[in-house]
Amino acid sequence: MTDPVTLAVVRGALEQIADEMDLHLIHAAISPIISETNDCAHGIFHPTSGETIAQGRYGLPVFLANMQFTVTNLIEIVRKEGGFKPGDLWIVNDPYISGTHLQDIVLIAPYFANGELFALLASTGHWMDIGGGVPGGWAPKAQEIHQEGLIIPPMKLYDGGKLNEPLVRMFTSNVRLPDQIAGDLSAMCNVFNVGRRGLDTLVARYGSGKLKDCIREMMDRSESQMRSHIAEIPDGTYHFEDFFDNDGIVDEPVKIALTIRKAGADLDFDFTGTDKVTRGPINLALTTTLSSCYVAIKHIFPEVPVNGGAFRPMKFNVPDGSLLAARYPTPVGGYLEVVGRVLDVVFGALAQAIPQRTPAASFGTTGVTTVGGRHPLTGRYYVAVFPYPGGYGAYQGGDGLVHGVTPQSMANFMSIEMSEHRYPLRFHSFALRENSGGAGKFRGGCGTSFSFEPWADCVVSALGDRVDHRPFGIAGGKPAAPNEIKLRLGNEEVVPPLRSKYEKQTVRAGDIVFAASPGGGGFGDPLERPLEAVEQDLNLGYISRETAERDYGVVIAEAKPVGEHMRYRLDAAASQTKRDNTRNAKAAARPTLRAQGVRS
Amino acid sequence: MAGSVGIDVGGTYTDLYFSGDDGRVERVVKVPSTPQDPSIGLINALRAAEIRQDDLDQILHGTTIATNAVIERRGARCALITTRGFRDVLELGRRDRPHMYGLTGIQRPLIPRDRRWEVDERMDYQGNVLVPLKPQQVRELAAVLKGEKLDAIVVSLLHSYANPAHEETIRDILLEIEPAWEVVISSGVIREYYEFERTSTAVVQGYLQPLVSRYAKSLLDKLKNWGFDRQTLIMQSNGGVVPVKELGSRAAFIVRSGPAAGVTAAAELAAEAGFSRIITGDMGGTSFDVAVVIDGKPAIAENTLLDFRVPLRLPMIDVHTIGAGGGSIAHLDRAGILQVGPESAGAYPGPICWGRGGTEPTVTDANVVLGRIDPANPIGIDRDRLDIDAARAAIGKLGEKLGLGVEQTAEAILAVVNQRMAGRIRLLSIERGHDPRDFALVAFGGAGPVHGAALMQEVGIGAMLVPPFPGVLCAMGCAAANVRYDFSRTIERVIGDIEPKALRAIMAEQRAEGEAQIRQNEAVGGGVRVSHAIDMAYLGQIHSMRVPVEADWSREQMADAFQKVYRAEFGNVLAGIPVIVTNVRTTVEGMRPRMRRKENGAASAAAPRPQRRRDVYFGGRHDTPVYRREELLPGMAFDGPAIIEQSDTTTVVEPRMKVRVDRFHNLIVEAA
Repeated sequence: MTDPVTLAVVRGALEQIADEMDLHLIHAAISPIISETNDCAHGIFHPTSGETIAQGRYGLPVFLANMQFTVTNLIEIVRKEGGFKPGDLWIVNDPYISGTHLQDIVLIAPYFANGELFALLASTGHWMDIGGGVPGGWAPKAQEIHQEGLIIPPMKLYDGGKLNEPLVRMFTSNVRLPDQIAGDLSAMCNVFNVGRRGLDTLVARYGSGKLKDCIREMMDRSESQMRSHIAEIPDGTYHFEDFFDNDGIVDEPVKIALTIRKAGADLDFDFTGTDKVTRGPINLALTTTLSSCYVAIKHIFPEVPVNGGAFRPMKFNVPDGSLLAARYPTPVGGYLEVVGRVLDVVFGALAQAIPQRTPAASFGTTGVTTVGGRHPLTGRYYVAVFPYPGGYGAYQGGDGLVHGVTPQSMANFMSIEMSEHRYPLRFHSFALRENSGGAGKFRGGCGTSFSFEPWADCVVSALGDRVDHRPFGIAGGKPAAPNEIKLRLGNEEVVPPLRSKYEKQTVRAGDIVFAASPGGGGFGDPLERPLEAVEQDLNLGYISRETAERDYGVVIAEAKPVGEHMRYRLDAAASQTKRDNTRNAKAAARPTLRAQGVRS
Repeated sequence: MAGSVGIDVGGTYTDLYFSGDDGRVERVVKVPSTPQDPSIGLINALRAAEIRQDDLDQILHGTTIATNAVIERRGARCALITTRGFRDVLELGRRDRPHMYGLTGIQRPLIPRDRRWEVDERMDYQGNVLVPLKPQQVRELAAVLKGEKLDAIVVSLLHSYANPAHEETIRDILLEIEPAWEVVISSGVIREYYEFERTSTAVVQGYLQPLVSRYAKSLLDKLKNWGFDRQTLIMQSNGGVVPVKELGSRAAFIVRSGPAAGVTAAAELAAEAGFSRIITGDMGGTSFDVAVVIDGKPAIAENTLLDFRVPLRLPMIDVHTIGAGGGSIAHLDRAGILQVGPESAGAYPGPICWGRGGTEPTVTDANVVLGRIDPANPIGIDRDRLDIDAARAAIGKLGEKLGLGVEQTAEAILAVVNQRMAGRIRLLSIERGHDPRDFALVAFGGAGPVHGAALMQEVGIGAMLVPPFPGVLCAMGCAAANVRYDFSRTIERVIGDIEPKALRAIMAEQRAEGEAQIRQNEAVGGGVRVSHAIDMAYLGQIHSMRVPVEADWSREQMADAFQKVYRAEFGNVLAGIPVIVTNVRTTVEGMRPRMRRKENGAASAAAPRPQRRRDVYFGGRHDTPVYRREELLPGMAFDGPAIIEQSDTTTVVEPRMKVRVDRFHNLIVEAA
């Protein structure tokens, strides 16, 4: 066994190298998507298994295990082409190999210690444009990947230390922001020097043999740490299904099914029963499906370290041909919606086993609204992107947050004042969406509503979901309010035919775009929510009077207006009686339900 | 002149630094803080230091009352008035969550939703009125608010930075109806866009104003009773001071004034000693604060998060904190790997060796076990001896699980905590685009000099400066600071579209306002320093860069300066993309007479005599000389390993390092 001090210090040092790679790119990248929203990831990987040795803590969750699976895929490909050589740097963005979507470019380089392949270093960064039918690469109506942009198969960007310049010219000729892309590419290449320098120092200090022992031991220990968490999940089989409203092309629900089998300290994820690939962009590459499961687990057990050892106890079955194992030429541009739903089904299944650790569903849709057009004062083309905020699910011990970011991201919403400076838009409101959190002993967080009016004609698109299938509650908690999108075009109020998905809708000056995101699901029986908490929710306007009376079973003694607000006082005794009666009535009804074969 | 005293009121201790008789007399004192009324501890410190009222011209003071009031939610009962449709901006923030992993957390808005109100009105982004304000509606709302038992009312309207007229009208109506209210308007606190950050900043100001005003009054009364009625100045988070009578209206500007004072003092001392690039490391009982200072100027943060979704958008010295201090607890994680912190034993019960009931081994316990801290001379607690046996027993127990002896375990605890601190130093410098090896470390705080030498080695830093009174450096920083006012105004236009005179007019206005404030201030004797900067970006970029400019520059000169800064930072420029001006900034500083530190003649080239020797563990036992700091004179030099003891801290010098005392009595530690 490696001595414990060296182990602790080496683990810290390896994580530090990955963190420094993250920060170097975040600092040096030109596109704001990397420098502002950290849309990147870096790591050190085992040279033959591809397992993660360390991954930076600044990159986005969506890349969590995606990097490891990408590296593992690439190792196999490179082996067939003669293996890694010093001075090589490989590049790939093919989602069927490297997951997520075409905008995410992955670079991988070998690291040699004393002439021997010691580790692989990898960098992922989001490029602002990758060609294809729509600027930014986001094509809600794509029906094959070629409409989404340029595919880069695995190939050498540097060969024995020499840059393949024609290849770079090929990229820059096929993207809309060539200078920015070239700048970001060279920033990504520079990051490998940071990684190499860090590993050089470690190798000099400890020797590669001792480092390898430490890495092996570190992974084994992370594995046992992960298994110790899994062991706390009761053995059993937990099944959960959830749906997309539609795929953006065909108006039919699309199913994701998950069965989690837990035995001893192993956890199996089986997606049998999930629908086939869809015609629209609601599909996910296999590596990102697996990664999403780890993201869900990491949200439940945040203290687990990120390395390959922690990933070992989980096994997967994702049926070929399903939308979670997308193959060429399936479009994958709606991948963030799918990642969100995979997280939801993992939470839905585990909530049956460990409700004390699992949050109810969050708002569950990235729902990006994009506005584009020419600014009448400058004549310049603009694209404004508003990602959805929404409510988080309640959990044992607390209500859900309002205005959360999607669980796979950390990107902020734009400032309203700044948006009005840059785009010909005027916001009418930006508000907490009342009564939208799922009822429960712990209440789901409320969603957000916003509306804006362009003062010059523009084109608006959105890719959302969760209109027909609401974010669910757990442990007796109720679902949240569904997503809602409305457009006022002229004098007419219009709901898009696919409810939350529409492309290039012309919106004229004076028209209004209205969006209201879902809240989070509730946790536990709403009748158990303390009366003071219900009274406070009423006074804060988080819930309506009707919800308080119907879902929370309270009786209101007094309601008086104070200016534009209402102040409520509950009748405690009458509320108690009403709650008791409701419970008794439910208890009386239960046998009938069972007789009908309905599981409660 | 006579003397100045700097007093830093922290959570656990109130530190005092006195400099009198033209710098020939220096005195330091540490007394327990009195959280129920911090001004009591302050007076206690003055008494303990035996300072005569007649010897004092000025009292300069740093305080944590503002920070604590926010964290503990002990501020005023406030209402918020916003533009119709936007009362939730304060609660919504900008779409985030408390941590990257984990979807849970608690949010407590400083003003809850039932005390947030809307009025009909709207400005556009250029400050044109789209919907006029209805004074009658404001009067009706004021009548409702009278029944709400409020201390303060905050008004934050969309685009008020572009045109504050509506905010000002509402303020005037409110004060006409109830003169007792404290009314804060967002454009009065900060003239910048970003509605959430500006609203939150104004709300923090409103939330703190009544409490801080009361504190200022009580402090002045107590000082008067003690016999002092001359100048009292308070440290702000930007590293400058303001007169105490302005304290209420500057309440949001004094959060974290203590750490800012420490960095200010470190910057001053390091510049004097000839170091232009420094990293400051302030290690106390629970946390380690790091900041970067270049050419005597501490790095400034524009946005500081006081709590989840409570940002403060005011220029503050950029101090980064991690949970690593003397009280940090060592434990094994689920994988059996040794971890130190962020949990801390705090001031109570504190480390095991303090004998106040602590049971978990801490960093301080490890230092005592290894002989780095003298058990016979505890600092800052009321005991004669540290309980080294209890510390050894607990560390030994932890060591059994690791298969290590007592000393090895104690060294492992230090190795892990030092690695965490070194890692933060590296990441902070890299985030700023610097190589940490180009910097000198200024180590202070009660535990900073104990760990500084190890941090030098871990980060690869070549030199460390340990100031004369590292344990009370924040108090010293208060005494060293200038009077300072910062102004900003959002423009957000392409530079070529701005009337050249417009930028000049804004800078002149900001300068005049600052100079007027400074003229009322008797503390300023060294003239006024004015500096301007413009935040610029390429059109479309979200983040702008701060570019120092002169008021009489042409637009072309300003744009060129931006391109230079951009190239220095990113290695290229984006030719062909227009440059936009986001904010115009002016800083007006009233220079206080420079605090002269004693540079008295008593220098010596002689080798210092150790007071005694003791075994200290550095990977094995070393017979190590122990020096008294007071006996080390300018010009002296000696080699590590060495221990230097003084009343406020202990400095540890590792083997293979050398020490010299510079003419300002700083210890300069370097790799041999």
